[in-house]
Amino acid sequence: MAMNKGGLKRKSKAASEIPSSSLADMAFLLLIFFMVTTTFRKEQKRDVVFPEAEATEKLEQPRKDVLHVYIESDGSIFINDQLYPTDQVSNVVAPLYAANTAMVVMLRSDRDVPYATIDQVLSELQAAGAVRVAFYTNLEQRMIRERR
Amino acid sequence: MTLMKKKGRPNSEIPTASMADIAFLLLVFFLVTTVFDEERGLSIVLPEAQNEVEVSPKNILFLMVQPDGIVNIQRGENPQIQPARASEISAIWRQEFANNPNLIAAVKTAPNAPYRFMVDVLDQLQSAGADKISLQVLE
Repeated sequence: MAMNKGGLKRKSKAASEIPSSSLADMAFLLLIFFMVTTTFRKEQKRDVVFPEAEATEKLEQPRKDVLHVYIESDGSIFINDQLYPTDQVSNVVAPLYAANTAMVVMLRSDRDVPYATIDQVLSELQAAGAVRVAFYTNLEQRMIRERR
Repeated sequence: MTLMKKKGRPNSEIPTASMADIAFLLLVFFLVTTVFDEERGLSIVLPEAQNEVEVSPKNILFLMVQPDGIVNIQRGENPQIQPARASEISAIWRQEFANNPNLIAAVKTAPNAPYRFMVDVLDQLQSAGADKISLQVLE
């Protein structure tokens, strides 16, 4: 009887605590995941408001195959954090494109830039041979469209 | 002797109780600082330089984007111009494309029109499934 009682007591004692020994392992696992997936952006932040589009699609190109061309609202063009005049764009892009022909040019342009600037940049890119271009947009929600 | 032994015992193990706290602290830091910066947008392939293709005017749908965002639609050689809002272009394109599967969309944007109006039109065309799109400046 006494033996039975003791055995029962011991069993319930073992189950009464939540096992916390694996907590640190779990935390480290998540930590390693976020450490590996984190990328600290190399480029400076630009003051650009992107246009919105419903047909926005995720690009499948790996990060190294994407060249970012920023066009600010005053029409200044930045490639790799450096300001270039419009007529220099093809000279800058051509060697980059020659080094990596899988390159896609991502035009991150402000929504209020006059179209003439965009057209100049497009023809510069054409001259450089970089014909795969994407216009960076934010995904547009239906509700916003209705209100406009 | 017995006193010494008792003192030495608690120090013999590395305290692991705070290990999870440290890990979670780091975890929270990385959670907050992580940005999944994905590349997204409207992709288009430009025609290669010195590789212009002649297209019969009857296979072209001109979409002339004005500086105020109004889009004037002209069907091929037909001189009639139909003004439309950007949001209506998707439906117009579907209708026109059903009549003529060889149709090409020529987006002509006024040089002083904001970029977003051109993107609106491009968005509508791509939403409607148009794949032959030409970008030009309105003269």
